[in-house]
Amino acid sequence: MLLDYDRLGWLKVALLGFTTLVAAFLLLPVVFIVLLSFGSSRWLAFPPPGWTLKWYQELFADPSWIEAALTSARIATMTAILAVAIGLVASFALVRGQFRGREVLRGLLLTPMVLPVVVFAIAIYAFFLRLGLGGTTIGFVVAHTVLALPFAIIPIATALEGFDKSIEDAAIVCGASPLQAKLRITLPSIRIGIFSAAIFSFLASWDEVVVAIFMASPTLQTLPVKIWGSLRSDLTPVIAAASSLLVALTLALMIVTALLRRKLQT
Amino acid sequence: MTQAFLSIRKLHKAFGAFTAVHDVTLDIPKGEFLTFLGPSGSGKSTTLYAIAGFQDPTSGDVLLQDKSLLSVPSHKRNIGMVFQRYTLFPHLSVAENVAFPLRVRRRPEAEVKRKVADMLSLVRLENFAERLPAALSGGQQQRVALARALAYDPPILLMDEPLSALDKKLREEIQAEIRRIHRETGVTILYVTHDQEEALHLSDRIALFRDGRIEQIGTGEDLYLRPATDFVAGFIGNSNFLAAEHLETVDGAATVRLADGSLVSGINANGSFQRGQKTRLMIRPEAFRLDQGSNGAKLAVEIVDVAFYGERRRIVARTGAGQEIDIRPTSTALAAQDVASSHRPVFFDPGAAFLFPA
Repeated sequence: MLLDYDRLGWLKVALLGFTTLVAAFLLLPVVFIVLLSFGSSRWLAFPPPGWTLKWYQELFADPSWIEAALTSARIATMTAILAVAIGLVASFALVRGQFRGREVLRGLLLTPMVLPVVVFAIAIYAFFLRLGLGGTTIGFVVAHTVLALPFAIIPIATALEGFDKSIEDAAIVCGASPLQAKLRITLPSIRIGIFSAAIFSFLASWDEVVVAIFMASPTLQTLPVKIWGSLRSDLTPVIAAASSLLVALTLALMIVTALLRRKLQT
Repeated sequence: MTQAFLSIRKLHKAFGAFTAVHDVTLDIPKGEFLTFLGPSGSGKSTTLYAIAGFQDPTSGDVLLQDKSLLSVPSHKRNIGMVFQRYTLFPHLSVAENVAFPLRVRRRPEAEVKRKVADMLSLVRLENFAERLPAALSGGQQQRVALARALAYDPPILLMDEPLSALDKKLREEIQAEIRRIHRETGVTILYVTHDQEEALHLSDRIALFRDGRIEQIGTGEDLYLRPATDFVAGFIGNSNFLAAEHLETVDGAATVRLADGSLVSGINANGSFQRGQKTRLMIRPEAFRLDQGSNGAKLAVEIVDVAFYGERRRIVARTGAGQEIDIRPTSTALAAQDVASSHRPVFFDPGAAFLFPA
């Protein structure tokens, strides 16, 4: 290959340096927050004068944090289920369908990914206010599902495109009804895509803050909203602890996904 | 009405302005191995897919034991099918793949177990039961697909170019397997291929498709030795076509004048020709001899090239009219140096030559 890494010579060093710089730029704030969450300074001083776990103790002692985390988990789980269900049906239409406007529909379903979130948030806030859905779990889930849909459709549609329809036909000739063939053969065959879709849509809801701020009520807050609110009222290292836990869970899910994908592919 | 096991009646399939299958009518007796042979786009696969139920014919009917199949959905037709592409269920083991049609039929577990074991031994893959399809070679995958298609004792087995993705040696190996399995199970097989050798090797009868119609149907010998049209003659086996002018036909034996002016008589005439009509004389490369023998017709040629191909030689020769022809005498007929680059006559039996309209 023209740009073979082994034959780059001195460029190799430059490339390595640049890559490290970019990675550091992306990761440093996260590392910073995690370090602060263990620092003993109440004023988030850096470097921390000493190390402590008391912010985590405070975090777990406060039921409003726990509740926010549970709310987030509940909404993200429902969002994931809904997004995967709709994403699955939509993917079949987008990949297998032969109808006019298929490409338009594909574009429409993927718009939430490119639309500025704040625009979407204001629009759906105004809309849900009229429907009386503002500040409700259903409102949260519906809004997050719209945002999560592209993250569900892309992996499922990709998996479905890579799945030979002849295999489904073979199941039908074998005596399975078209629905049975899809449930027993096609879905298990594209399970990596479905699984990725579930994780990605869970995360799309789990760490979403803009729409959540508009949707939240004093009694219904997700973890990112709670962090955002606390940040504005009192700047305490408990926020750093909560943020670290948020990052930790996201990271854990990504690792689980990677491991499972590897296992499923062999 | 008929004794036919499977009967295709005036099957017609049009895709918009394009007619893929043109009123195909065909009777297939029980236990027959019938091959649909033809170039791609000749309608052979479309006909097969109409029998499987994946294509709805525009008109016509498909009858199995005098009952129409067309109103029966694919999954209730109880037909076995092996596809061109590898269609094993990727997440199921070999044994579970073979068991799948039995499981959807809710057969008792003991029967499923027994049948899977029978089928895997039929295709000689007993030791691969627990493997996943990804761990099998292409040939093994198609054998499992065959076992799966036969597991529920379907009355008909459809095979859509099942060996086209395999290399030549493997293809021949599995052809032998398919022949053996046909012999052992007695299942009626409809086989689609564009490979004439495969068709000749496997089939009881061959239906040669061209542009959505059956050009000729018969045994391999019929098609090779008694081609009905020049298309059949050109598709099955190798053939030389020489321009000829028809002079007269008496009792099916024609006399023609070749382009170099020589006369040949005693030729098989396919159809009736008028005096002076332009025709094409078909002679198989193997039908040429280098010695006169008895009643051999003579053709003066110039030898252009001689190559050794094991049991036969391949000779490229040029006729007096300047046309290059393909001659394949047995290797023992003459030594290479005796024929290379010389003007000499070659001979053929007019009874093995056929006359077609130009």
